[in-house]
Amino acid sequence: MSESFSSPLTRRDFLSTSAKLGAFIAAAPYIARGAEVVAKADQLNVALIGCGEQGRILTNAALKIPGIRFKAVVDIWGYNRTYAERLLKKFGHDPKPYEDYRQMLAEVTDLDAVIIATPDFVHAEHTVAALKAGKHVYCEKLMSNTVEGARSMVHAARATKKLLQVGHQRRSNPRYRHAKDRIHLEGRLLGRITNIAGQWHRAVTDDYGFPNGQGIPEAKLNQYGFANMHEFRNWRWFKRYAGGPMSDLGAHQIDVYNWLLGCNPTMCIASGGVDYYKTHEWYDNAIAIFEFPTKEGTVRATYEVLTTTSAGGGYHEYFMGDEGALKISENPKYTKLYREARAPEWDKWVAQGIVASPTSGEGAPPAVKPWEKVGVKKLGGPAKASTVDVRETAALSAWDIPVTLDKAIHQPHLENFFDAIRLGTPLNCDGESAFATTVTILKINESIAAGKKLTFAPTDFLA
Amino acid sequence: MKFPEFPEFHHEAMATTFALVIADQSPDYARQAATACFRELDRLESELSRYVESSDIARANRLAFGETIGIGEDALHCLLLAADASLATDRAFDAAYASERAPAQPADTPLFTLDPAAHTLTSHTAQLHLDLGAIGKGYALDRLAAVLADWAITHACLHGGGSSVLALDAPAGQTGWPIGLGEGQHQRVLSLTRCALSGSGLAVQGEHLVDPRAQTSAQRRDRTWALAPGAGLSDALSTAFFIFNDAEVAAFCTAHPHVGAALAHADGKLVAHGALAALLA
Repeated sequence: MSESFSSPLTRRDFLSTSAKLGAFIAAAPYIARGAEVVAKADQLNVALIGCGEQGRILTNAALKIPGIRFKAVVDIWGYNRTYAERLLKKFGHDPKPYEDYRQMLAEVTDLDAVIIATPDFVHAEHTVAALKAGKHVYCEKLMSNTVEGARSMVHAARATKKLLQVGHQRRSNPRYRHAKDRIHLEGRLLGRITNIAGQWHRAVTDDYGFPNGQGIPEAKLNQYGFANMHEFRNWRWFKRYAGGPMSDLGAHQIDVYNWLLGCNPTMCIASGGVDYYKTHEWYDNAIAIFEFPTKEGTVRATYEVLTTTSAGGGYHEYFMGDEGALKISENPKYTKLYREARAPEWDKWVAQGIVASPTSGEGAPPAVKPWEKVGVKKLGGPAKASTVDVRETAALSAWDIPVTLDKAIHQPHLENFFDAIRLGTPLNCDGESAFATTVTILKINESIAAGKKLTFAPTDFLA
Repeated sequence: MKFPEFPEFHHEAMATTFALVIADQSPDYARQAATACFRELDRLESELSRYVESSDIARANRLAFGETIGIGEDALHCLLLAADASLATDRAFDAAYASERAPAQPADTPLFTLDPAAHTLTSHTAQLHLDLGAIGKGYALDRLAAVLADWAITHACLHGGGSSVLALDAPAGQTGWPIGLGEGQHQRVLSLTRCALSGSGLAVQGEHLVDPRAQTSAQRRDRTWALAPGAGLSDALSTAFFIFNDAEVAAFCTAHPHVGAALAHADGKLVAHGALAALLA
């Protein structure tokens, strides 16, 4: 009764299932051949240091930007390095693989820029070396797991006069930029912001492992600063390599607090702990409170990162003002604007394209498919226009941000970096401003460890 | 799936629940491999779901006539598979069936084209509407099998939302994975290895299957199943078989002997063609 087919599926040949249909892909009418549109002069040569999950996300985003040519990939783990090399070759690139970034920087001399997606504790080492080698750098956040590491990156960028973009990619997201520039600063639709609440709630995840036979010898791991393979694969959870969930997840969102308000906090107090996981060092759940000294008055903010439950509404930043509120997220379904009843009508902002009437996000009706448009069932009963329901306070009216992110999530931030190299466009997140966020994040962990409120001096945020 | 002797792992993605059963491995190793699979699954959803704003498919659906975008490796290969399935089934399966075709546009011209070398997609309609709902879950199962292969795991059975099963090698000492097909007294249990079985019907999502050729709801009321070497293909073909009439299903299986079909009739009885005929004999 058993039915067998000849070959098991692998990454390399899974298309063979298609070929077995008998269709001839090359002759299919769906296939077209395009022309190369990027002039050689506009091409930027880049290398990737760190070919893990985040490196792959950045690679896939960069591949959608015209004129980017990967010349090298670097990773101490051959498994990841080979994967990146194969992926890039499918796109017509021919990157040289390296285990050691120093060898790569010495040998690949025609690089314009380096993209760094390694663990936090080596960001400073890799960034400073690349800057000193004369390359522009895009480095993943958090800048570093130490203030001194982050400061060294800013100093190196200053000294070399090379660009340093840090991967707080929301700053280049067109929806976030619209929210800050048009809704908050231009339209003042939120009125005076008094509070912020932010969160990232993530379900329990298992530790990462690795395929049999793919482990890195311990001596080599030690050479590159790792204790063992478990810590190498799960570095985000260990204090010597990273800053934990507040750094991995919270840094994106608390960076938005600083960025949208245009100032840094004066104090923070936080609570957290290793409450759930048995194999981690970093706090799995942490909650922080901040005070921000804006020109209009104090803004009190909370932020919580939970890694043991997906309940409670996902991830967003919620800016609350006396005339309106902005709930914003990289995920549009968690994004919405609310107008307080006391605020002026927003009709003129709708007319100007600053806000839109509700069409999507939480509470929106499901999209109607084309074949569902005909024969829609009509509800019976009298019209309700003349009746008034007396119940609880009406919900705030909800509005949308009429901006769509029509690219891979990290693509606009990479584009900004490449435009800065080519055209001199200002960076959306240079090392100086990312340094302030790094100081903020690291202080939260410090507050948890100290069990008390900590204050910031304005000079703390200066590198 | 219920295989109590082996560890089973679940993950929600693509608006359904995926399950992996991994045999002949330590539970810890199996769990680590499943974690790697589910990370890949989340990544695939972010690239293939039309509901994810920044996915390649959502971006394609916002293209104006003649516009071109760069797409990733998975969107390219899933769309190539979809294109092949569409051609082979004479558009009984068509991932772009809900697109708005201009009145003057011939029905046999594609609404989008792909440049595999450049990894680009070009729209040839004012409103492209790609929907990988009838192929994406199966494609994802094929990719998860590839991840398991990286982990040297070949004895496994993968399940995507109840509609597609990808059986890899059988557990040690067994001839195959027991997979149910049909309902009630007519249900049969097949023993499958290295192949995929997908089903289509109206029981779960109601009248969700549309005949791309007629642009109307499908005429068939009872379930269809497709057996194929890979889950992306079986997923697409089970939909096509639901759209085909019985004679078209039989003809397709004759032309493609490595593919199987099973059709439920109103009385619950099963009629099988091609590779499934021998299994259900």
